[in-house]
Amino acid sequence: MRYLGLTMTELHELYVSGKATPLDVVNEVIEALTKDKNNILEKTMYDEARSMAQSLTKVEKDNLLWGIPFLVKDNIAMKGIETTGSSNILNGFIPLCNAEVIDKLLAAKAIPVAKTTLDEFGMGGRGETGHKGITYNPYGKERTRIVGGSSSGSASGVASGYVPFAVGSDTGDSIRKPASFAGLVGFKPTWGEISRFGLFAFMPTLDHVGFFTRSVSEARVLFEKTRGYDKKDATSVMNVPSKTEKEATLKGKKVAVLEPIFALMKNKLLIKEFHNLVDKLRQAGAVVDFVPFDKDLLAAIFPTYFILSCAEANVSNACLTGIGFGNKEEGASYEEIVANTRGKGFSSRIKYRLMLGQYALKKENRNEYYDRAQKARRLIVEAVDKVLENYDVIMLPAAPNHAPTVDKQSEPHSEIENNFMAIANFGGNPSLTLPYFLDEGLPLGVNLTGKPFDDFNVLNIALKIEEITGLYNLHAGLKS
Amino acid sequence: MKYEVIIGLEIHIETKTNTKMFSSASSLFDAPANSNVSVVDMAFPGTLPTVNKKAVQNAIMLGHALNMEIDDELHFDRKNYFYSDLPKGYQITQQRRPIGSNGYLDIYVNDTKKRIRIERIHMEEDTAKQIHLGEVTLIDYNRAGNPLVELVTEPDLRSADEAMAFVEAVREIVTFLEISDGKMEEGSLRCDVNISLRPVGVSKFGNKVEIKNMNSISNIGKAIETEIKRQSELLDKGLEVESETRRYDDALKDTITMRKKDESVDYRYIPEGNILPISLSKEFIDTTIREMKELPSVKRERYFEEFKLNAHEVNILLQDKDLTSYFDEAARDVKNYKTLINWVIGEFSSYLNKEGKNAKSVALSPQNTSKLVNLIDNGTISNSQARELFAHIIETNEDPETKAKALNLMQVSDTDFILSVINEVINENLNVIDDIKAGKDRAMGFLVGQVMKKTKGKVNPALASKLMKQEIDKR
Repeated sequence: MRYLGLTMTELHELYVSGKATPLDVVNEVIEALTKDKNNILEKTMYDEARSMAQSLTKVEKDNLLWGIPFLVKDNIAMKGIETTGSSNILNGFIPLCNAEVIDKLLAAKAIPVAKTTLDEFGMGGRGETGHKGITYNPYGKERTRIVGGSSSGSASGVASGYVPFAVGSDTGDSIRKPASFAGLVGFKPTWGEISRFGLFAFMPTLDHVGFFTRSVSEARVLFEKTRGYDKKDATSVMNVPSKTEKEATLKGKKVAVLEPIFALMKNKLLIKEFHNLVDKLRQAGAVVDFVPFDKDLLAAIFPTYFILSCAEANVSNACLTGIGFGNKEEGASYEEIVANTRGKGFSSRIKYRLMLGQYALKKENRNEYYDRAQKARRLIVEAVDKVLENYDVIMLPAAPNHAPTVDKQSEPHSEIENNFMAIANFGGNPSLTLPYFLDEGLPLGVNLTGKPFDDFNVLNIALKIEEITGLYNLHAGLKS
Repeated sequence: MKYEVIIGLEIHIETKTNTKMFSSASSLFDAPANSNVSVVDMAFPGTLPTVNKKAVQNAIMLGHALNMEIDDELHFDRKNYFYSDLPKGYQITQQRRPIGSNGYLDIYVNDTKKRIRIERIHMEEDTAKQIHLGEVTLIDYNRAGNPLVELVTEPDLRSADEAMAFVEAVREIVTFLEISDGKMEEGSLRCDVNISLRPVGVSKFGNKVEIKNMNSISNIGKAIETEIKRQSELLDKGLEVESETRRYDDALKDTITMRKKDESVDYRYIPEGNILPISLSKEFIDTTIREMKELPSVKRERYFEEFKLNAHEVNILLQDKDLTSYFDEAARDVKNYKTLINWVIGEFSSYLNKEGKNAKSVALSPQNTSKLVNLIDNGTISNSQARELFAHIIETNEDPETKAKALNLMQVSDTDFILSVINEVINENLNVIDDIKAGKDRAMGFLVGQVMKKTKGKVNPALASKLMKQEIDKR
């Protein structure tokens, strides 16, 4: 175990100094993955990874991603590799092209090693609903805690130390919540910064591609390598605002804590540690204010998210009929084929969400549900924008507690403190979770949400918080 | 009882582009089955639509031709329904904000002008083509995602003739603007008819029936006539006309129930989240309109004004866009448009009809047609020589003058030679001279005919006639 648990930067130094080759590293990663007990794997591509690693012989000194192994959430298409979204309805489905983010990472010579588990099609927050069952958190007693979802396998894999980073997706908090439970940096940039081409759609205007890393600076590297206009994604940003190269500092930065959300936190240690962090930020020259926020709007976050995402998931997944592709079931007529394919292919939880979505869109209901939820979304975004007019970031605990055990309640759980991070999806804001303390060895994350296209500012503030906490390059420790 | 017929039309126009409405696959759908299909057209998970600029330009041009307000923002929506020909499970269309609204088109029925209001035109994508073979259905995705414009009229049409005139006028516009083939037989123009009857004087509309599946303009007429008859008979008996969708059966010459409309389908429209609203600059819209091909109505006006053609000639010409282009080009080098139009809608057109060709596919260039027409016009060749010459050069595009010389088809204008032939004829027919002098003009024609015969038609008949008269007078 010489290379596991190392960061991109550490591996890069080994490559440059000739002390290791990508193949050495990939071989060790594969060995570790085969022993994984947390159920993170959907599909492996060990042969492809080995042969790519073998082909990488000339180290690129300025390219931190060169030869770095990584994991990919299984709702992100890879050419020639079975991609199912952790749903039986797509068993055997092999995409014909790569997601744009994968093409960019491959161009940078990073090496994909495996596809990882998720809540079926990203619909879930606990990593329990994929067709391969529960994905576990490497922290805590073996196979007792969830790692969160929906990017569960990616989070668990990076937290296990197998690879330095993983690709995830985030529609409500699917990167930033598991990042909190897994002691990782989870970053979802501004909507439109990273092409969504190849990301299985859940709700297009909420969906984001993002990353799990073990440090803020490496999240920044990935952001810089993968952002930019993609002609295949009409919503990708064409005129990327010039990046701020200003040195990271907390001096003069303004941080807003939404007081009514923080007031919901009950974990005493969390409250203490959060105040502790606030004090340190102030000492470093930042202004931290506890600001009010409309409680009705806070109460509206979850229903708004749930109604919109279910309604649009109902539409986004309408292509899954078994007719043109996918795991087709037979039937005597077209209708029967579709009914059988969807009936057998989707799990009951997905059907529940799709039915809710159908209900919310029906002519007699849409005024009350879908249209109202769209209005609520706008009101929430306006209220968040208003706070961010005066502040660089909104800072809050990413979750009220550390990772729950698997026997706890199942979703949906509608508490504000468990769902507020969806505000960054409503407005497409850059949002990042990073660890800020450990509670009995279990990590907890703090979340920063900034103004759209102010990604570098968010990253810079996160970098300074990371310096304060000293919590970077965390992993659960490797058991052999 | 007397009924007023209320008709509204929904016309789907497949517009011409190189690629599909929302993907980069070729829009050519009569290619081998499933050869022009991209992952976007198949709705593979993770794929995203991108908007075809040319399709937008086509829609703007049509909107302008139909006197519509053009929206300066593009918005797309998803229309949700399951069907085996619809890969995404929804169709991307423009529900909330169509690209064109509040337009009109003037039609002419029995020389009377009538203005038909047009509610909207919007852009959308086509479905896959299904081929039903007994138990099996095959799907050809070549057509899936091809750009369509749907045009919806107000219920302003009152008869089959008006409906046919409207569709014909739309067909004429889209073909002249070169934004669609406009072929009903091939499905590049499809028309659904909404029709209801109400007793004359009553303001409340009757129940509406939608008729689909007509593959020609004349079938639209037949379907409407049949449906008017069916509905009036029901109403005469005091029965109710059911709201339903019917299809026209060409073999039965009748409309047949497809499905009852007990409740209208709920399409659960939502905004297309993968395409943000696109702002169309004034410059983009203006440039698109400026670059439009000439509208048939403008062309018609020009033919009357500039070329002094008559209504009959113009109507014939306008039935065929390629023919008008050919005429326009040939007219550049011609002085006598009358000779040209006679030639183009006469000899030239009948050749095309006979050979099943069009003005674009014959070898003879418009420039050489101008030369041919000028040869007739300045008396170098006769009409019959022109026909012979035409037959030689239509598929070779040889220079008319050179070819005429080579074929020895030039008219003879050498007066000495003509006079010698005339005198020969007179001498052989001295008895006829007396008849002429006695006032029998017909005999004159006979003598000129003899001259033409001796010269194998190469003499200019007018000249021969004139000289003949002089020579007889001398005697």
